[in-house]
Amino acid sequence: MSGIRKVAVIGAGVMGSGIAAHVANAGVPVLLMDIVPEGATDRNGLAAAAIARMLKTEPAAFMTPRAAKRVEACNVEDHLGRLAEVDWIIEVVIERLDAKRALYRRIDAVRRPGTAVSSNTSTIPLDALVDGMPESFRRDFLITHFFNPPRYMRLLELVTGPQTDPALAETVADFADRRLGKSVVRCKDRPGFIANRLGITWIQNAIAAADDLGVPVEEADAIMGRPFGIPKTGVFGLVDLVGLDLIPHTTASLRAALPPDDAFHDSYREMPLVSRLIAAGFTGRKGKGGFYRLNRTGGQKTKEAIDLASGAYRPARKADLPELKDAKGPRAVLDLPGRAGAYAWRVIGATLSYAAGLVGEASDDVAAIDEAMRLGYNWTWGPFELIDRIGGAYLADRLARDGRPVPPLLAGLDGRSFYRVENGRRQVLQPGGGYRDIVRPDGVLRLADIKLGREPLLTNGSAALWDIGDGVVCFEFTSQSNALDEQVMVLLGKTIKLVKDRYKALVVYNEGTNFSVGANLGLALFAANIAAWGEIEKLVHLGQQTYRQLKYAPFPVVSAPSGMALGGGCEILLHSDAVQAHAESYIGLVECGVGLVPAWGGCTEMLGRWQASGTLPKGPMPAVARVFETVSTATVAKSAEEARDLLFLRPDDGITMNRDRLLADAKARALSLVAGYAPPKPVPLTLPGSAGGLALRMAAEGFARRGIATKHDLVVSGELASVLSGGEADILDTLDEDAILELERDSFMRLVRTEATLDRFESVLETGRPVRN
Amino acid sequence: MQTYKAPLRDMRFVLHELHADPGSEPLPGLEEITPDVADAILEEAAKFCTERLLPLNASGDAEGCRLENGVVRTPKGFPEAYAAFRAGGWTAMGSDPAYGGQGLPETINKLVEEMICSTNLSFGLYPGLSHGAYKAIAGHASEALKAAYLPKIVDGTWSGTMCLTEAHCGTDLGLLRTRAVPQDDGSYRITGSKIFISAGDHDLTENIVHLVLARLPDAPKGVKGISLFLVPKFLPAPDGTPGARNGVTCSALEHKMGIKASATCQLSFDDAVGWLVGEPHKGMRAMFTMMNSERLSVGIQGLGAGEAAYQGAVAYARERLQGRALSGAKRPDLAADPIIVHPDVRRMLMTIRAYNEGARALGGWVARSLDVMERHPDPAERRRAEDFSALMTPVVKALFTDLGFEAASIGLQVYGGHGFIRDHGMEQYVRDARISMIYEGTNGVQALDLVGRKLPAHAGRLLRGFFHPVLAFLDAALEDDALAPLALPVSKAFGALQLATAHIAQRGLKDPDEAGAAATDYLRLFGLVALGFMWVRAAKVAQAALADGTPERDFYEAKLATARFFIERILPQVAGLLAAIKSGKGAMMALDEAMF
Repeated sequence: MSGIRKVAVIGAGVMGSGIAAHVANAGVPVLLMDIVPEGATDRNGLAAAAIARMLKTEPAAFMTPRAAKRVEACNVEDHLGRLAEVDWIIEVVIERLDAKRALYRRIDAVRRPGTAVSSNTSTIPLDALVDGMPESFRRDFLITHFFNPPRYMRLLELVTGPQTDPALAETVADFADRRLGKSVVRCKDRPGFIANRLGITWIQNAIAAADDLGVPVEEADAIMGRPFGIPKTGVFGLVDLVGLDLIPHTTASLRAALPPDDAFHDSYREMPLVSRLIAAGFTGRKGKGGFYRLNRTGGQKTKEAIDLASGAYRPARKADLPELKDAKGPRAVLDLPGRAGAYAWRVIGATLSYAAGLVGEASDDVAAIDEAMRLGYNWTWGPFELIDRIGGAYLADRLARDGRPVPPLLAGLDGRSFYRVENGRRQVLQPGGGYRDIVRPDGVLRLADIKLGREPLLTNGSAALWDIGDGVVCFEFTSQSNALDEQVMVLLGKTIKLVKDRYKALVVYNEGTNFSVGANLGLALFAANIAAWGEIEKLVHLGQQTYRQLKYAPFPVVSAPSGMALGGGCEILLHSDAVQAHAESYIGLVECGVGLVPAWGGCTEMLGRWQASGTLPKGPMPAVARVFETVSTATVAKSAEEARDLLFLRPDDGITMNRDRLLADAKARALSLVAGYAPPKPVPLTLPGSAGGLALRMAAEGFARRGIATKHDLVVSGELASVLSGGEADILDTLDEDAILELERDSFMRLVRTEATLDRFESVLETGRPVRN
Repeated sequence: MQTYKAPLRDMRFVLHELHADPGSEPLPGLEEITPDVADAILEEAAKFCTERLLPLNASGDAEGCRLENGVVRTPKGFPEAYAAFRAGGWTAMGSDPAYGGQGLPETINKLVEEMICSTNLSFGLYPGLSHGAYKAIAGHASEALKAAYLPKIVDGTWSGTMCLTEAHCGTDLGLLRTRAVPQDDGSYRITGSKIFISAGDHDLTENIVHLVLARLPDAPKGVKGISLFLVPKFLPAPDGTPGARNGVTCSALEHKMGIKASATCQLSFDDAVGWLVGEPHKGMRAMFTMMNSERLSVGIQGLGAGEAAYQGAVAYARERLQGRALSGAKRPDLAADPIIVHPDVRRMLMTIRAYNEGARALGGWVARSLDVMERHPDPAERRRAEDFSALMTPVVKALFTDLGFEAASIGLQVYGGHGFIRDHGMEQYVRDARISMIYEGTNGVQALDLVGRKLPAHAGRLLRGFFHPVLAFLDAALEDDALAPLALPVSKAFGALQLATAHIAQRGLKDPDEAGAAATDYLRLFGLVALGFMWVRAAKVAQAALADGTPERDFYEAKLATARFFIERILPQVAGLLAAIKSGKGAMMALDEAMF
């Protein structure tokens, strides 16, 4: 088969419709099929309802509403024949072997030969699924196990059978990688594959140990979360998130499928409390609550947690474990005296020991197991990376002291770690002994790998510059949360000089969770509180100048965001020649939200983009109104695709679906711009002046009357209106960039002196969102 | 002989001219407190202090308190003076009218306190502690306790104490051991020993109400496990009069350097009956609510000592004839010139004067914010005032008491050997002033509070209430030709304060020891800038009055001259402090402990 141009998903439940939505996000048309319920008027009703639901879910399943149009609602009664149109059929029906097999026979009758068929089963072995199916079907069949929600979870477990055509499997894997942006981890055909088998073992151990040791749920989550690089939801919070009802279901199926001597059974425990909660509708966040709930009785919201012993809810208490903060690293937590250390050891000891047993069983590759846990459960470190941090010998000794079996893999470590860096290359221990280089697939470039072997070209406390080969350098933010400060600007200034002399192109990229959420608000607030107005204005000016230098530098600049690129983090994109964005980029000028206006050239650049777009009616006003609408409401694009609509990305900017491919794509884009590069020419802007500003202000007042805008919103949008309309500009004049930058700066400085703006800063810092004042 | 004349003119200046906000509505509850009423109160207080308290200051110091048969006797004349104080309604000054108080604002209370502290610091501690107890009970106790105790404390028939310190715990109250055991009737039984308890026992009132920090049996460790209890010396009988003797006794009086007429007691609680004030384990919170006002009061003690020392020193410098002026005889008619002709004597007198008037002005600003915080109808204004007073509390406490002690010492110096002997009473001011740098949180702890808590709180929000108005005023003052020469150095000092603040915020975030090393110098720098700001503002008022052709030319010209002295001769210390702060902790922490 030559490629995948159309896909069918059978089963419009939560997973099926999520997978269909994500295939549509990749720009590929999808048929979404389900059964026809008895007496249905709309025979495609189940699928149609699923699409409608997907349009409303949070976090959004579709990257843009447009993507939903690529999903066609069908049913398996009337449209099975249409499976001949597609190149990949994904089965996501109920986890019952008989149902799946019956469906496969129907599929096989209508599909084109060579069309890939995969199951999204989470626990049924492939061997069992294809039992009794013809060889032609087995050749085209594989398991593709997505994680929920399919758009956001980057792991795809892929299982092939002995008869699966390797070329077909490669085609599916390549599509999942490049088009769907998944990290494909190949697993052996064993129950639960990798992530759930280890993950469920961990969850079971963590719940049982909390019950046995009398550890309150808040404490258990505090211990079993951050200290081990696990999301702060820990275990009980995670179960609430994914749904309590999923646990007994998956557990039962794993228990049935795993041999009796598997250590999984050791961690199994009857959980009458969980069964009772599920029966009473306490299925987690999707239900009435779970181990935690928000009690809304009495008109106020109280967070409550369950008492594991009595099963009754009580007010949630923040875990009072100061020793946890003082413990440096996961091993120190395991060594803590008292309940915290005992709990940590019991869960982590059992989990890591089980992980060691999975090598050769679920996968031969410890790096694959680590990758599965990082991407499937959002662990910062996979189990073997965790073992390296804790010490393999420590783990083996302690297991032996407890009288528990020491997995041969650990016993045979002999002081070695699972990972090491040798000659600037990251290597991993192979089960047979000996290390091998970790080789990234073609088109995957990781800054973390590059950084292992060399020193930065330039560095200071907030940023660094790296040589990524072929004459391209990469500018990385290194400050806390990638916040932008004076040091970032200073290093960027030095970078521009260096690249001009010695390199071909610059990529702005980093591997943080967020590209950058903008300027360091804490610093700014402190400076404002001590009335250091001169310092603040200097930084605004420095940022404007630096970004302008970047824009007019004699070499191409490509920015490559992933995650949030807000405020100043968005403005650096606006000053780049091109953007190569990860599909999951959330871009926006959010300054108005915190009571400011964009002042590092954000207003200026957006005006230029909309005036040049050619999509708006003539005259200066439409572009100004468009920018005002986006910026005054602090609109953030919910995907890179949506950022195009808002012109945060230009039509020719690129989108990369797979996070791991972003840097290589950005580098390639930068190199493609080198030949014959000429910096952009400044374009003067025609702006409507005070009359235009008045029109915008009147619109804002309309919002205020409808209760959408607050008192301070009006002050802020008034300043924004004045900047965007060119201040007191005459409609016959044109303004150059300098003049608008000055307007940005003046408005910014007026706003930062208002108490309401500073109150917004403070609430963002302390609560994560601005106060509506 | 100690002499004192209340600085009523300067008090009126602070109250009506410097911090006046013409055109603004009076705060709720203060509508009746017109300037005339305020002046009358201050004059009455001045009269009482000069006539009744001042004569007992030296004698009380010489005689001290005595412990006789388990009961403390205050020095001769104290019971009578206290009876007159009570009869004059002075114990009720700052209390809620609902309990018989007069509801006067802090701006007036603090000026009266200053006069009391100038004339008899030891005496002032008795009603001072009662007022602290009043606030704790009013703020946190049950209605029943309030009804039973507050009217008696307000009218002064009963007094109060604050029992915090134990032998092994002072600054770190988390270590305290006194226990409270709940009883079936809702009361508690308190057992333990307290030390350093001011007014812990005495013969001035018929009953004493102790507020005691203790631990409940289930208390968590540390400061989060401390509760506050009310423990009377005599359990009130059903008719409200003092009944059975409770299990609290004074086991010893502390022997101390100063404030000898104040009874500083060791108290033993032996199964004493008490009642919980506020919530269990929230005792520290109850204490902290009155901390701002209490610490300002201790700061005022420093100012009181400084004012007394100034007046004593000026009197002596005018009459002491010794040698001739360097530039030639000024009083050839006399055997020698009075020493006030000498620049170095002037330096001493001007320094104390500039400290005192500056502190009075700054204290007035902070007192005003305490009133706004209590009474303003707009919650945003209340929050601003609360932020500001929280910020300034450690500054005024430590700065005023440091300067007060320095002023007392300078005043003594003016007397030469006659200051060192007892006859003139100057050495008593030095000894009495010394304690205010220690109690209610040592000045080192105040400095840590400033850099460790107040600076970083809400990304520096508390700083806003000082930095914004000061910069705005100074920027405007620089545009005023007459004021600019005074405003410019203060504006530069303010710049140094901004630098030091940013420096500490940045360095201290990474290394708390850096903040700790900078703390005391920073507090002084902050304090000097705050005084400098007060002096520019005072100068502006004075220039306006002189331009208006005021008949009180001497008063306003002295104001201007003192402003100039502070700004030219004292404020430059800011540069040295900034340099010291910027040098960091290195030299301070270099020695290994064994090398000391």
